[in-house]
Amino acid sequence: MHNISKRFGGTAALEGVSIELYPGEAHILAGENGAGKSTLIKILCGVYSEYAGRIVLENRPVKFSSPQDAARHGIAAIHQELSLIPAMSVSDNIFLGREKMKKNGTVDFSAQTIASQKILKRLGIDGVDVHRPVEEYPISIMQMIEIAKALSMNSRIIIMDEPTSALTEPEVNKLFETISALKLQGHAIIYITHKMEEIYKIGDRITVLRDGRFVAAAPIADMARNALIRNMVGRELNEQIQRRSKVCAEELFRVENLDIADPQGNRNLVNDVSFSARKGEILGIAGLQGSGASELLNGIFGAYGPVSKGSVFLNGNPFVVRSPGRSIEQGLALLTNDRKTTGLVLGMSIVENITLASLPQYSPVCWMRNSMEQKAALRYKQELNIKADELSREVSSLSGGNQQKVALAKWVGTKPLVLLLDEPTRGIDVASKHEIYELMNRWTAAGCAIILITSEMPELIALSDRIIVMHRGRISARLEGDRITQENILHAAMGQEREVA
Amino acid sequence: MIPLVSNTSQKTFISRLMQYPVTRAILALIVIFVIGLVFNGGGAFFKWPAHRDMLRQYSVFGILACGMTIVIITAGIDLSVGSMLGLSAVVFSLLTIHRDWNPWHAIPACIAMGAILGVVSGGLISRFRIQPFIATLAMMVFARGLAKFISGGMKISTSIQQADGSYIYKNDPAIFKMIDSRILDGNLAVVTLIFIFCLFISWLILSRLRIGRYLYAIGGNEEAARLSGVPVIKAKIFAYGMCGLFSAIAGICQAAQEYQGDPEAGVSYELTAIAIAVIGGTNLMGGRGSILLTLFGTLTIGYLDKILSINAVSEAGRLMLTGVIIVSAVLLQRRRK
Amino acid sequence: MKKTRSMLVGIAIVLCLALTAATWSAEKGTPENPWVIGMSQCNLGEPWRVQMNADIKSAADAAPSIKVIYKDAQNDTLRQRAHIEEFIGQGVDLLIVSPKEAAPLTPIIRNAYTNKIPVIVLDRRVVGEDYTCFIGADNKKIGEAAGRWIAGKLNGKGNVVELKGLMTTTPGQDRNSGFRKGIEGTEIKVIFEADMKWLEPDARKEMESALARFDKIDLVYGHNDPAAHGAYLAAKAAGREKNIIFVGIDGLVQEGQAYIKQNILQASFEYPTGGKEAIEIALKILKGETVPKEITLKSRVFTPENLEKGGEWLPEMPASSAPAQPAKKEQ
Repeated sequence: MHNISKRFGGTAALEGVSIELYPGEAHILAGENGAGKSTLIKILCGVYSEYAGRIVLENRPVKFSSPQDAARHGIAAIHQELSLIPAMSVSDNIFLGREKMKKNGTVDFSAQTIASQKILKRLGIDGVDVHRPVEEYPISIMQMIEIAKALSMNSRIIIMDEPTSALTEPEVNKLFETISALKLQGHAIIYITHKMEEIYKIGDRITVLRDGRFVAAAPIADMARNALIRNMVGRELNEQIQRRSKVCAEELFRVENLDIADPQGNRNLVNDVSFSARKGEILGIAGLQGSGASELLNGIFGAYGPVSKGSVFLNGNPFVVRSPGRSIEQGLALLTNDRKTTGLVLGMSIVENITLASLPQYSPVCWMRNSMEQKAALRYKQELNIKADELSREVSSLSGGNQQKVALAKWVGTKPLVLLLDEPTRGIDVASKHEIYELMNRWTAAGCAIILITSEMPELIALSDRIIVMHRGRISARLEGDRITQENILHAAMGQEREVA
Repeated sequence: MIPLVSNTSQKTFISRLMQYPVTRAILALIVIFVIGLVFNGGGAFFKWPAHRDMLRQYSVFGILACGMTIVIITAGIDLSVGSMLGLSAVVFSLLTIHRDWNPWHAIPACIAMGAILGVVSGGLISRFRIQPFIATLAMMVFARGLAKFISGGMKISTSIQQADGSYIYKNDPAIFKMIDSRILDGNLAVVTLIFIFCLFISWLILSRLRIGRYLYAIGGNEEAARLSGVPVIKAKIFAYGMCGLFSAIAGICQAAQEYQGDPEAGVSYELTAIAIAVIGGTNLMGGRGSILLTLFGTLTIGYLDKILSINAVSEAGRLMLTGVIIVSAVLLQRRRK
Repeated sequence: MKKTRSMLVGIAIVLCLALTAATWSAEKGTPENPWVIGMSQCNLGEPWRVQMNADIKSAADAAPSIKVIYKDAQNDTLRQRAHIEEFIGQGVDLLIVSPKEAAPLTPIIRNAYTNKIPVIVLDRRVVGEDYTCFIGADNKKIGEAAGRWIAGKLNGKGNVVELKGLMTTTPGQDRNSGFRKGIEGTEIKVIFEADMKWLEPDARKEMESALARFDKIDLVYGHNDPAAHGAYLAAKAAGREKNIIFVGIDGLVQEGQAYIKQNILQASFEYPTGGKEAIEIALKILKGETVPKEITLKSRVFTPENLEKGGEWLPEMPASSAPAQPAKKEQ
């Protein structure tokens, strides 16, 4: 791929990125969240067909119009969310959309069976009955089936996006064996991971992206860990973001030995996490994709119901984790990381969204007091500088930044003691970002504690008084003062065991 | 009303007006009304009794549609309203005619029964996460079965079979006559008054009470509502409970107008109730709609039926025309971008 | 789970065997070992059919030598077919079937008949001759009698509203065409006709429309009694019930006859269920007597004057040619 660029509206997601891929190698694609890895991958496998630059496959320029087109050229991607159909059999999944046909126009199931068995054998997987539905097998096997599907298409390039995030240790080893086997058979693999040990275990070469730009490419042996981290960070620290309010000594919020299971209760998303936050403090949580940071906030807030293990204290009193409603009553607020799907009710008006979490204030004895509500909404509109000509407009008519302010206003309206902010500045314009930083300063000055997740590292560093770093559901570092550097954070976020402060 | 689409000054006054769902609902009604003025059944459409009788006949459907609107706003559906109407009609007739209950005991008993069955549906849907379609389908079959069981498959009327096979005859209970009578010099049926009352209650719930806001939020984005502390389970149970309650009221009205409790009453009424809500402009995806729209929906469907009836259109023609009109009305309702 | 289920099936088989063994051993037709009659009803959702079952039951209760098993197909042809198959498999001594539809149920009834199980077909016909006896009333004749009675009542002149049952069903068609035949040659005009789908609320609605359109209505002819009753309620609400005569069909004790008693209807024409007759015929067949292939039930007219005396038998009319299968739908 040469000189690939991609723009979304006004922002450039990729600018002049090149990557070279040889048969039989595992090529690591590294970079922080938002560095442009997924955009690049989507262009390569035909999801985005509009881009600048060119792709050359075996000395021939190609342009893929769709994922199917890319697949025909031998490029297959295995995403984190598997694309298998749970209730269908293994062989049917492998040949989905490309069924082997008999002459009379019916599906040749026996040919599919034989072919699937052959592919699975090539991958070194035993004990999979290709007639059983895939849902009966663990995720690791499903992933193998995805790989088998890719092989059945004669894919020469297989893209794996964080394939180990849901796997256990032995399963990871099994996957690596498979990858080694694929390399020997001449397949090229693009491998995206946030785990340092994996990079050095299976990678042959590495390309580093940062902010949509190409930074470096080298054989893995030539890029030491420190050099890799340096390449990945290197973002300008933003001097304009200022942290002004003072942190009190008084502890406000404490979490002890918390485990958070996923809603189905199959496995822990967060393991044995403890931390505390003081009055007026902004506690940053850093973590790359799959670190469990977001799940930690959702879990504390009660979005997954009661926690399986651990305890939480607010103002020295036990805090009951049961449901969002209960958490709000106790003085907690959670700004979710996706305002469109979990933050706002887009079809409702601005007023109705602002007051949604604090309706009892405006409806004593269940009866709505509309003038009270209007007045409060107007107050928050001014306080947060929401730009809207009419508060009765649907919230979906606002720009991203103003929508985010409406979501924030909703939570400020509940008068919380602790604000959990998950990506408060994602996808909004610069001016709105700065307004939100300003608001965070104001709220901490008023005695709130803020627990902040953001994938923009300069923002995190500038705003946080202390930072905890998470990796695979556990805390891998606690940083304070001078030790808050991009390098330290990234080392810990990629699972480098370093001395813990 | 809340405008649904952002305002741009270039648009004409009419097209701006058409952004409001209420305007579109009124327009559909006007179209039907004009058809009535043209095909007036030998002038019958120009006389008040035609309108009064339409209101009487569609009051029962309108009451069902009130409950249906509340449920649809939460992005749900209740298929059991017709069966619940039948069950309530049977129980009400049984209590007042056979058991000689005082109506002021029988009415609350029936309403409570409807509300409880609605709460059961709501519990299955919210607490046990059964799809509304399935849960209320089960309730629809169950309530019909219960109505037949209680009535023994017979209409509960004023002729009562004795153990020896002979019949005794009772007078119509006063409450039946009262509900089936008219007020204002015979110009408004009592059931229409009850319908207006149900409209008012629904309006209070949806527009004036906190729970109403919760219902819209759940229909608009259930996950966001839940994360904003909205008691989703309680609110849904409430919605289905109200729907059951309104069905029971409709059943009482139906029984009083037939002077009997027919266990087969209300078959396929749920479809009419859904059609009314949808024609009014309430969105089956939830989160949008209002009781005012449901009122217009009731009038639109009611007038359509009345016009077909006074012109003595054949059954086959009515079915086809009704299908065409429903689709046209919904197309007319569609939001323009 | 599986174990319990197979155990239950086992128990059921043993019980069945024991039962059949017991029935084989002794002589049939005694109170200890009665003849078993299977009664397949197509739909118990209609009061008239509930009445049919009740008539069968009261007649059967009086005869200790028989025992009747009832099944209700809930208006589902395939379910009724399955019920009849079950009866055949069970080895009943006689079948009474009130079929939902002719063509789909004919083969299974023929199957029973050729397997030496006597079959009495009630109310609706099947195709062909493979049954022992058909018992039914003639809707056309009843409609015609109603037409003549109405012509007499109105002195051959007047405006009539006809509230029709489903015109896609044979009874609706026959009650309509018979009535038209009965008023032929008079100056009676049907000024308004509408399909009320056998439902009282719909009948009331249609009558309201008729009242809104026409100032002079002399008589309402409903294809069933609830229709006439619904029309009465509509007229009463308009204050015009005193000037209109209401006539219905079916004459059930708790419906038509009750309405006559309350002076709501002026006449109701009985559509007999044939339940009692079916049991009488069944007893004859089981005792080995010969029975006619077809029995057309006589029906009565009930009026306020004759209700106390149990109605008045309609005069015999020349037999109208009853179709062997439902006539084509007519619009």
